[in-house]
Amino acid sequence: MPSAVNINWYIALSSILFTIGVLGVLLRRNAIILFMSVELMLNSANLLFVAFARHLGQLDGQVLVFFVITVAAAEVAVGLALIVAIFRTKKSINIDEINLLKG
Amino acid sequence: MNWILTIVTFLPLIGVLAILLTNPPKRGSENLVKGIAVVTSAITFLGTLLILMRFDPGTPGLQLVDRFDWIPSWGIQYFLGVDGLSILMVLLTSFISMLAIASSWNAIKTQVKQFYIFCLLLETGMLGVFLAQDLFLFYIFWEFTLVPMYFLIGIWGGARRVYASIKFFLYTMAASLLMLLAILYMGINAGTFSLPDLIAGRAAFAGAQDLLFLGFFLAFAVKVPIFPFHSWLPDAHTEAPTAGSIILAGVLLKMGTYGLIRFNLPLFPEAAYRYAPAIAVLAIIGIIYGAIVSFAQKDVKKLVAYSSISHLGFVTLGIFSLNAAGIQGAILQGVNHGLSTGALFFLVGVLYEQTHTRDMSAYGGVWKIMPVFSVLSLIVVLSSMGLPGLNGFVGEFTILLGSMGAESLAPRPWIFTAFATTGVILAAVYLLWMFQRVFMGPAETKEVKGLRDMNRGELVIMLSFLLFIFWIGIAPSLYFHLMDSSVSALVSHLSSTLMALR
Amino acid sequence: MNTFNLAPLILILPVIGLLLNGLFGRRFVEANPANGERLTGWLASLMTIGAFLVSLSLFLSLLAHGFEPIIVPLFNWIDIPSADFLVNWAMQVDTLSVTMMLVVTGVGSLIHIYAIGYMHGDPDFSRFFTYLNLFIFFMLILVSGSSYLVMFVGWEGVGLCSYLLISFWWARLDKNGVPANANAGRKAMIMNRIGDFGVILAMILLFWTFGTLDYQAVFSGAVEMFEANHMVAFGGLSVPLPTVLTAVTALFLLGVTGKSAQIPLYTWLPDAMAGPTPVSALIHAATMVTAGVYLLVRSNVLYEIVRTSGATILGLISTPNLVAWVGALTAFFAALIAFSQNDIKKVLAYSTVSQLGFMVAAAGSGAYVAAMFHLVTHAFFKALLFLGSGSVIHGMEHGHHHLAHAGHGATHTDDDGFDPQDMRYMGGLRRRMPTTFIVYLIGSLALAGIIPLAGFWSKDEILLHDQTYATPIFIVLAIAALGTAFYVARQLIMVFFGKPRHAAAEHAAESPALMTTPLVVLAGLTVFGGLLNLPYLTRAMAEANHNHPAGIFLMLESWLEHSLASFELAEEGILALPRTPVYLSLLVAGISTALAVGGLLLGYLVYRGRPRTSSEPDRLARTPIWWWSVLPLNSLYMKGFVPLFNRFSVWLADKVDWAFWHDFVHDRVIRDIFVTGAEFSANVLDAQGVDGVVNGAGKTTQRLARGLRLTQTGYARTYALAVLLGAVGLLVYFLFMAG
Repeated sequence: MPSAVNINWYIALSSILFTIGVLGVLLRRNAIILFMSVELMLNSANLLFVAFARHLGQLDGQVLVFFVITVAAAEVAVGLALIVAIFRTKKSINIDEINLLKG
Repeated sequence: MNWILTIVTFLPLIGVLAILLTNPPKRGSENLVKGIAVVTSAITFLGTLLILMRFDPGTPGLQLVDRFDWIPSWGIQYFLGVDGLSILMVLLTSFISMLAIASSWNAIKTQVKQFYIFCLLLETGMLGVFLAQDLFLFYIFWEFTLVPMYFLIGIWGGARRVYASIKFFLYTMAASLLMLLAILYMGINAGTFSLPDLIAGRAAFAGAQDLLFLGFFLAFAVKVPIFPFHSWLPDAHTEAPTAGSIILAGVLLKMGTYGLIRFNLPLFPEAAYRYAPAIAVLAIIGIIYGAIVSFAQKDVKKLVAYSSISHLGFVTLGIFSLNAAGIQGAILQGVNHGLSTGALFFLVGVLYEQTHTRDMSAYGGVWKIMPVFSVLSLIVVLSSMGLPGLNGFVGEFTILLGSMGAESLAPRPWIFTAFATTGVILAAVYLLWMFQRVFMGPAETKEVKGLRDMNRGELVIMLSFLLFIFWIGIAPSLYFHLMDSSVSALVSHLSSTLMALR
Repeated sequence: MNTFNLAPLILILPVIGLLLNGLFGRRFVEANPANGERLTGWLASLMTIGAFLVSLSLFLSLLAHGFEPIIVPLFNWIDIPSADFLVNWAMQVDTLSVTMMLVVTGVGSLIHIYAIGYMHGDPDFSRFFTYLNLFIFFMLILVSGSSYLVMFVGWEGVGLCSYLLISFWWARLDKNGVPANANAGRKAMIMNRIGDFGVILAMILLFWTFGTLDYQAVFSGAVEMFEANHMVAFGGLSVPLPTVLTAVTALFLLGVTGKSAQIPLYTWLPDAMAGPTPVSALIHAATMVTAGVYLLVRSNVLYEIVRTSGATILGLISTPNLVAWVGALTAFFAALIAFSQNDIKKVLAYSTVSQLGFMVAAAGSGAYVAAMFHLVTHAFFKALLFLGSGSVIHGMEHGHHHLAHAGHGATHTDDDGFDPQDMRYMGGLRRRMPTTFIVYLIGSLALAGIIPLAGFWSKDEILLHDQTYATPIFIVLAIAALGTAFYVARQLIMVFFGKPRHAAAEHAAESPALMTTPLVVLAGLTVFGGLLNLPYLTRAMAEANHNHPAGIFLMLESWLEHSLASFELAEEGILALPRTPVYLSLLVAGISTALAVGGLLLGYLVYRGRPRTSSEPDRLARTPIWWWSVLPLNSLYMKGFVPLFNRFSVWLADKVDWAFWHDFVHDRVIRDIFVTGAEFSANVLDAQGVDGVVNGAGKTTQRLARGLRLTQTGYARTYALAVLLGAVGLLVYFLFMAG
């Protein structure tokens, strides 16, 4: 039996990572950083999935993680492409300058 | 599944496609367009002859049926079939359409492509009306015929064409809406729109039969037209181009009388018996009124238009005699009217094309200038007058015979017959007066002196009319045999309800 | 060997003639006028002569085969199995129809030949002969049809031919610019149609009573039902057979009054004289107008059943008696009207009406053979008279042309209203036209009833019958006979005697041989026609033969009685047909001869040497008899009813149908109400109501949006915060509220 780390530790770590991600999204202006923060949030969720899968002895969580990773990869691909396209026109990836949708 | 009816019905649409593919602006392509239209209508006519060959006159029910579910959740089917009540109408439609299209060869000079497209669309619509055995499908075809006719009158018509076309459209459309209500009511109550099923299950809506009968009757009465609903007819007839008038008189009006026979009688037999005397009175008023009014006309097309009201009064009287002689006479008289009045409109068209006037006082002495034309006109006038040996007499006499023996007009059917027979006298009065004013007397005006006699094409068209005018007059038995078993089934259906009523 | 199979030929031959002439005749005549005319004219004549020969062979076959009627079926016409309605095109060859065929084709042939001469030079020569053949065709259908409906085809067909031939010169206008010929044709057709109204209804009644329209089946059915006192079910009512037959026979009478020009529908026949003279002779004297008499004789069984049953119209008069009275009164009034006519053909027209009245009266009182006898002799002498008058007119026109060409008498040419048919311009023609005069004299004396000409015998037989069975009718007819002799004398004197009253009459010339030869043949027939039905010389002889014909006496009667079923039925006691022993009654013959001679004498006394000039008023013009002679029926129709109908028709068309129903109801009431409603909805309801709501909604939305759009900063961060807040909000909800 491997050392049984208490599930609460996982929850705590995951929450911390998620909070860092949220703060990153809200506070930073660089689009790349924003993406990294989003990834961080996704991966904190992945961590929690895996932890609970282990804890409950079910595979569902682990399967879901694969989906999330796939989606995240796709998202990064599209997102980075967008950022590149924006950078070409605006010469900047500061998201405060991207406000064409302003009402 | 036989597919022949479907193919024939939609055959004109192939011609429409072909016309659409021709190049519009070139001069030469007009003849191509005309050729395509004529050939298409001729093939359609051959197609209906094929239907006739496959048709078994001994079977009373529907034949050559094409039937499958169309909108099953509402009980709507695609259902075409032909029987003795409609076979003659189908033949008449394709025959008259062919001649009408052929007769426009020289008459139509503007927007040639559109004209023939509308003619062919109209033909499909009319064939559909006579073949559809599902009320929903019937209604679609029924309303569909309005559109091409509306444009035929409105674009290629006379001076007041816009007025006439709108009036025609609105008048018939408004009346048809009542029929639509009736159809929806029946379909929803009975769960099906197919006519044989509705007839079998007519108990489902027997409670509302009077209103339903009137709904259908009004739609058909406007189309026929029966006496007080006729005032769209003189406008539409006079303003329509020659081909439009021929089709209007030859076929479209028959849709009304056909509808009465096909739907009103079998679906609502009790109501038919109840209303027969009242409708017969309207029919007789129509006979006399139409005749007297047409006597006073100065416009030759209007005269023929009013004479249609008189003739169709006979047809209506025959239908509501509700016996075999009356109904068979009515169907045949429908055909006769299509031939004689169609031919009359064609003849008027030949004159109008050259003089551009429909006023009879502008003519006189035409016989001297156009002997062939005049002799043929005389024969058509006589056929319209009901001279024995020509087609009109056979129909009229059979109708009068039927009306005298009509149970539906008891206890004194001979009063109806006697009044209707005065139409025979009046027909001579107005037709001979017309003939005298146009053809007799000295040829005085320059226009009349400059007339040319019929050319070969017109002669061919006219002789095809005359072939049937003589054939039906001399040996109509073939025509009666075609409808005999269907009519006798209808009549026994009617009389069994009469027995139940008593 | 019999020739009944040839019967269809009598129809086929005229059809060949009319088709050839109709299609090619005009071309022939235009290519070569003289030969073309000869070709078309003789073609038409030969076809009629051919039909005559076939009729003759049918006559011989009937003689050889015991007079029994033969039905020659052609093909079926109307066959409606589900209505049990079947009519065959079939010909009935019996003694009655063959008699008519012989008259029609025989007299017809002569008139065809005459017409070749008469119509010479007419631009529509071939059209004329086409019509004549068409007429012969329809007339033969009429007499040979084996059922009422087939008869009716001919009945209407001859009406059509009559229309076409009366209005033959449709391009002509009279002095007042009225298209008189075309109008006359139309009038004839419409009057005939009024009669046809009756025939159609009668046929329909017959069908619903007997289930067929075949003569033989109808008659045998009628007798059976009559004997069995059968009731006829009609539209839910049950009616005794005689009542139905009363209606049928009365309706037939209406047809007869139309076709045979009896009161009240006779007025078309005088106008019909507008047609070419051969037509007047053929159609309006010898053949077509006798169709009504033929119908009466053909339907003898029906009339006799009504007579026997005693059924009456409204309790007043039984239909056979009504027929007799109509005929007698027509005979009387038409003879009177003839007094006042100055047109040579109009005199003959009224005379025809009058003589037809004799026939109808005879048929109505049961003397069917006498009616047919008079029909035949009248065909001879009246055709003769009409053709003779044609010859006179031809001569007068010739004289008139001669004047115009000779250049003298210029004042007499066109500006004096000269009319070649007006007897006032004639006079003294017997020297200029001797052949015509002699044959005309023979015809006139036959018409007046002078022994031994044909007219005497037939008229005498009618008078004899009515003297025995219907005295009032006898008296009326006797007076009519007196009047006949009187107008005959007047006409003869005005035309042939005295001095010419116009230069044209002085220069009139005899007609060519082509025209006079038929006249001579007809004159021969007129002289010897009486032999057809010679009466027994004494009453004793008649009684010795039990009233039956024998030898040379009563040949026509012995011939016709095979077609007159009521004769046999009367002998069996089923029907009460009165049958006269036909003998030369001294009383009747004496009276009729006295009347004829008296009438002629009277006419001679009144008109001797008169009128002296063409403008002198008639001797009778101020006498009451002149006024009497103008029966105002024609004026009543033409001045009363016709304008009334015209005005009514115009009122109905212009005011009721167009102004009221078309313009007012549809365009004013329905359309305007709709348009007003539409405008109200557009400008008021829609603009302020519906539009207000819609616009209001739009404005509110705009105002709202103006506020809300401030929330859209465009900064991704703002949106992310919103998402976060939303997520937190949801979390809070699930954790604390949804417990």
